[in-house]
Amino acid sequence: MLIKLTSGTVYDPASGIDGQQQDIYIRDGRIIDKPADAVVDKEYDLKGKVVMSGAIDMHTHIGGGKGNIARTLLPEDHRQDPVHRSDITRSGCGHAMPSTFVTGYRYAEMGYTAGFEPAVLPNNARQAHMEMGDIPILDKGGYVMLGSDDYLLRLLTAKKDQKAINDYVAWTMAGAKAIGVKVVNPGGINAFKFNQRKLDLDEQNSHYGVTPREILKVLATAVKEIGVAHPLHVHGCNLGVPGNVQTTLDTIQGIGGLPMHLTHIQFHSYGTEGDFKFSSGAAQIAEAINRNKNITIDVGQILFGQTVTASGDNMRQHANHKHASPNKWVTMDIECDAGCGVVPFKYKDQNFVNALQWAIGLETFLLVNDPWRIFLTTDHPNGAPFTSYPHLIRLLMDRSFRNEVLSTIHPEAQKMTTLASIEREYTLQEIAIMTRAGAARLIGLKDRGGLSAGNWADITVYTDNTDRQKMFEKPDYVFKDGQLVVVDGKVVSTKWGTTHVVTPDFDPSVEKGLKDYFDRYMTMKLGNFKISDDEITEDGRGSISVHPLTGDVA
Amino acid sequence: MSALTLTLKQQPTQRVDMSPLVCQHLAELSLSEIGALVLQSGKSLLRVNELFSIEGSDTQDIIINNSVDTLDFIGKDLESGRITVNGDAGAYLAFGMKAGDIKVSGNVGLYAACEMKKGYLEVSGNAGDFLGAALPGNKMGMKGGTILVKGNVGERAGDHMRRGNILIEGNAGDYCGSRMTAGTIAVMGQTGRYLGYAMRRGTLLLWNQPNLSASFNDCGAHTLSFLPILFASFKTLNSRFADASEAFNRVQRYAGDMSEMGQGEVLVKL
Repeated sequence: MLIKLTSGTVYDPASGIDGQQQDIYIRDGRIIDKPADAVVDKEYDLKGKVVMSGAIDMHTHIGGGKGNIARTLLPEDHRQDPVHRSDITRSGCGHAMPSTFVTGYRYAEMGYTAGFEPAVLPNNARQAHMEMGDIPILDKGGYVMLGSDDYLLRLLTAKKDQKAINDYVAWTMAGAKAIGVKVVNPGGINAFKFNQRKLDLDEQNSHYGVTPREILKVLATAVKEIGVAHPLHVHGCNLGVPGNVQTTLDTIQGIGGLPMHLTHIQFHSYGTEGDFKFSSGAAQIAEAINRNKNITIDVGQILFGQTVTASGDNMRQHANHKHASPNKWVTMDIECDAGCGVVPFKYKDQNFVNALQWAIGLETFLLVNDPWRIFLTTDHPNGAPFTSYPHLIRLLMDRSFRNEVLSTIHPEAQKMTTLASIEREYTLQEIAIMTRAGAARLIGLKDRGGLSAGNWADITVYTDNTDRQKMFEKPDYVFKDGQLVVVDGKVVSTKWGTTHVVTPDFDPSVEKGLKDYFDRYMTMKLGNFKISDDEITEDGRGSISVHPLTGDVA
Repeated sequence: MSALTLTLKQQPTQRVDMSPLVCQHLAELSLSEIGALVLQSGKSLLRVNELFSIEGSDTQDIIINNSVDTLDFIGKDLESGRITVNGDAGAYLAFGMKAGDIKVSGNVGLYAACEMKKGYLEVSGNAGDFLGAALPGNKMGMKGGTILVKGNVGERAGDHMRRGNILIEGNAGDYCGSRMTAGTIAVMGQTGRYLGYAMRRGTLLLWNQPNLSASFNDCGAHTLSFLPILFASFKTLNSRFADASEAFNRVQRYAGDMSEMGQGEVLVKL
């Protein structure tokens, strides 16, 4: 079947196309060059419509244990937002942490075709993949979480060489079917278990004597040497602590030029100036990002309203539990791997701190120059549910709307932000970079995020509208692998996305030490830890897409 | 004007969600419109006039005859008026009730008066578990009003209760008054295990010595002058609580739950 999308205005930063009128041809799920003489089976007239590839959320908590803890903790989140089944879609519920099916439908209805779970605990990777396997339409993948696991800290304490670390990281990635590596509060989750309640970049874990700086360095090196395209994905130290802007700047400095992705940086950009000892560090952060080309970031924008924060950072979640709204929370230990903290949150525009957090996120978006190195996220659901992306896009693209909202927030917060003076408005091309081409490149997806021939046909079509929120809320068409899945912002058919992974090589002898460790300390045997391809594909709907490592011949 | 009377024709095979049939929703409707309303019953929808024969016209005074324990959500969010249930009621009776009067002649199911805000509920039979409690996961149960149960109640009566009175003429099950933040629960009969489990504040007023957990401290015998005032406020009730011979002002006082805030009290008649 040959599909032709005729005369749409195409924004495809991956091939440098910025708003040119073009035809796109789709056959067998992929975009192809104009065929010589083939008959077009189905044509869509897209004259005047905006065409982009399907959006990719490169940091969204859509799978893994903490989501289920959040769901269990907040039954009211489900009761207040029921979704009925239709002939083609399943029922579900949830505003802040929707059920799997609803997650897939709602993402697709906004023009998203892929989402990446950033905190896959090695031990819980199977559950995370099974859960993501229940999310329809979207492609998915996960970054495996290391850095507070006892095994790595033992390797570091024993002064093992980088090769041993690389083998362990590669083995874990392969076993957990990951496409990246994430570190959360490096070593801090572990330090929490030894009764430390904070851990600065150069502070030693009281048991292992390892500092976060060493952990970051060794993991960033491992990721680079293994050849994983996605740089080490870092949730830094001191999340949410006033004054942490210095920690973040030190982290950037300390990585010594290695590729590093700093995630939800908004939560790591706080100063201590002003009457309330809380101020914006966005300008300093943005300057550092602009200067250090090895650094990429996503923002983790907060937006006002009820949500739930779910994080592996049990140290910081424990510290924040007194802000829980409604007043209930969970922090837990997860074997020797890491921890987990779930704290429901209601961000209020009349709360000084929340209002300034909102402004800090937007300042960061607007002050970082290179859209290829900054990504649009709310750290779903931590800053806001992903369904608020169209609103966020409008804030970025429409200065008068932004200033209108700014004028309604806490007056002291208005005084503490330079937002009103920032004139920048994002262009459609820049949005396409942040949410498509840039994200695909960052994760290392070889055939997604672009509209040139050879790419999978993940395509979103919008009606241009000066109200960008309305525009991005309701795409005219969304194609996933060439199948029309959404019309006018409603799912019209469903399919199953693939799971993106990398398969790095490692020295098989790495399992010798690990087997003993698993036998002694873990609830799972080493053989059961490793997820086989069959587990993802055997139900006939999942599939695995392996992406190249740098250095591979594509 | 005579009361709007709904008489159940036969026992429904599935549970029925009765929440549309409250006074404020019916105020502007004619009898035929009321008959045409649909109720969720299991997977299907039933018309009101399939299930009930309808008589009378006063939508602010509803009588449900032949009621059975599969009729759920009777009086949900009731804002005014009166509902009289002849027979039993299912789960979630008077759920979130804001004002008005509900009386049931028989027994009622789980979660009666769940998160009730105000008004008066009277049950002549027994009540199930979680009387006046919060929905699972929610932090606030009953916030006001009065519940009178002439029979026994199940477990967890007043779980997460915030304000108001629960008056029980019979016995209460285990965990009575668990996780209470405030309010009053009075039990004339026996109470079960784990009385006042994790209660923060509030009062449990008992006629019989309970089996208390170790986390309640005996504070000695007291003569409390507020008790006669409390009993006086029950004078108008159709209940043994209105009977002057049941009143007392001399109690043994226990404070707890000490594993929580410990500002709750259990007062036992001496």
